[in-house]
Amino acid sequence: MTLLESVVDGVTDIRAHKGRTALQAVGVILGVASVVTVLALVDAGRRKSLEFMDTIGGLRKVLVVNEPARETTRTARQLANVGLTFDDAAALRGLPMVTQVDPIANERLLVRRGDYQKEMHIDGVTPDYQAIYRFYPGRGRFVSSDDLLHATRVVVLGDTAAREIFGSEEPLGRTLFIGDVGMTVVGVMQRKEYLFNNGTFNALEWMNRKVIVPLTTVHKRFTGDPERRVAFINAMIDKAENIPKAKAEIEALVRRRHYGEKDFAVWDRASRLEQQQQQSQQLHIVFLAAGAVSLLVGGIVIMNILLASFQERVREVGVRKALGANGLHITAQFLVESVLVTLLGGAAGLALGTGFARAVSGMLDQPAVITPSMALIGFITSVSVGIFFGLYPAVKAARLSPVQALRCE
Amino acid sequence: MAGAGLPGQGAEPVIRLREIHKQYDAGESEVHALRGVSLSIAQGEYAAIMGPSGSGKSTLMHIVGLLDVPTSGDYFLAGEEVSDMTGWSLARVRNKRIGFIFQAYNLLPRASILRNVELPMMYAGVSRAQRRERASALLARLGLGDRLKHVPSQLSGGQRQRVAIARALANNPAIVLADEPTGNLDSRTGEEILEIFDDLNRQGHTIILVTHDHAVASRAHRTITLVDGQVVKAQAA
Repeated sequence: MTLLESVVDGVTDIRAHKGRTALQAVGVILGVASVVTVLALVDAGRRKSLEFMDTIGGLRKVLVVNEPARETTRTARQLANVGLTFDDAAALRGLPMVTQVDPIANERLLVRRGDYQKEMHIDGVTPDYQAIYRFYPGRGRFVSSDDLLHATRVVVLGDTAAREIFGSEEPLGRTLFIGDVGMTVVGVMQRKEYLFNNGTFNALEWMNRKVIVPLTTVHKRFTGDPERRVAFINAMIDKAENIPKAKAEIEALVRRRHYGEKDFAVWDRASRLEQQQQQSQQLHIVFLAAGAVSLLVGGIVIMNILLASFQERVREVGVRKALGANGLHITAQFLVESVLVTLLGGAAGLALGTGFARAVSGMLDQPAVITPSMALIGFITSVSVGIFFGLYPAVKAARLSPVQALRCE
Repeated sequence: MAGAGLPGQGAEPVIRLREIHKQYDAGESEVHALRGVSLSIAQGEYAAIMGPSGSGKSTLMHIVGLLDVPTSGDYFLAGEEVSDMTGWSLARVRNKRIGFIFQAYNLLPRASILRNVELPMMYAGVSRAQRRERASALLARLGLGDRLKHVPSQLSGGQRQRVAIARALANNPAIVLADEPTGNLDSRTGEEILEIFDDLNRQGHTIILVTHDHAVASRAHRTITLVDGQVVKAQAA
């Protein structure tokens, strides 16, 4: 007797008992649906955050930030250090795995233009800023290396900042004052957008509010800082797999430059993303546990119904044995039935889960996609449930003595 | 063991039982259903096993049909020692050597009669095409050639029993074992079924029929009567 024939027999049985089959399948449907929903949402969420990370520079970015010693009484060496500087950034450029370096100084200064007057964050940057943030001028130009060399009095505005300061006027070529320094607007950046909440919230609006000047201009004209201190340094690493190694090299280099003091920290996006995902995983585990419980209950229901329908089939088992069926034939017959029921349930659960995931993913602005591997997981789970919970009734049937089975009315 | 059979039979019998005992645990007491049954049935014989209820005739039939194993004694079926076989070997021998016909037909209710007849061949591993051909031929021979796709509930009792006979013959067994085959049928239909048995016997099939009905038993060439688990009469009719 081939497997195909067992399947044909099983299908006949299932079709003869539609109600019983539906009851058996419910648990599996809910279980698989919930597992598939979670998988699809986790996947959608992961793609969403990757996409977001990508629009602001990707995962290959490493951030070096100031982290001064916390001790109240500092050593002379700690006091001697001034934190991260333009020269630290220049040194990082020499590392082979580092492709771009952008030190950034941050000052809060008064911006004036005609009647307009507001205290704003001014970013002192270098040309690498564009590549690191994937942020480019829409009109005019960006800060050039020439600007950096001569600490020129030029400013590049984010789209929102330009509108706010100049209204409908064309800002290119116009002058505004930062502190007391007159600056010429040479560029307006492209708009950055990453919409959440059905388009009502732009997660990147802060970039559109940027007021960008050459880093050297900050040091020379605004703060007059001879140490050329910076708030943080962005470094782009050539390959994602090099990040841990590059981090170690960056740390060693900066530490050496800071006389062995670790008054800074090196962060990378990939590990932060991972942390974030670990947090949301707790939520997923709750859903997955619910799915597992449904599958368990579904399995027990299947087993119970198989056992309940057992009595009416004992005689059939006896007849089959009288005709020459061995234990394996009988086991296969029962197992095929429970596996078919769970497969049916698995398929329905997959469909239901897809529906759930679609409905819920509206909140994420990210279509939830059921990938083949998720479908596979759903099917493997349901077949396992079928085999696991079908095995006991199947073996029990196979062990029936033919005489007793035939006597059963 | 030569010569252990009945007188007048030279060849090795199809069935040879020697000192078969069967005891059951029935709660506290022990039931001794068979107490030393010895008998032989030759190839091509038509034998009836008779006896009142509780005489052990069902137990004997179960043991002959390999549905049950004796507590002690030897059983040779077509020359093969089967009394100490278990599980899988029993299933194989049952499948190839024995054709069962039951009082209640015991057809699979949801399967077509063609599929019912194919079932023993399926367990024997016969190819699909061969199975189909042989099952159709058997059913045609029994006058059911135009109903192959019917399910048992669409047939009369006599027709169902004919399907069961076709199924019993599927693997061309050494013996056909019928347990009260006419018990559920009216006398005219029962007569038709018995005529089929006569026919099969003429064609060379060995038939063992279990019954309590003398009229039915009289069709056989030989009657074996059991009382209290022992053979009291083994005579040619």
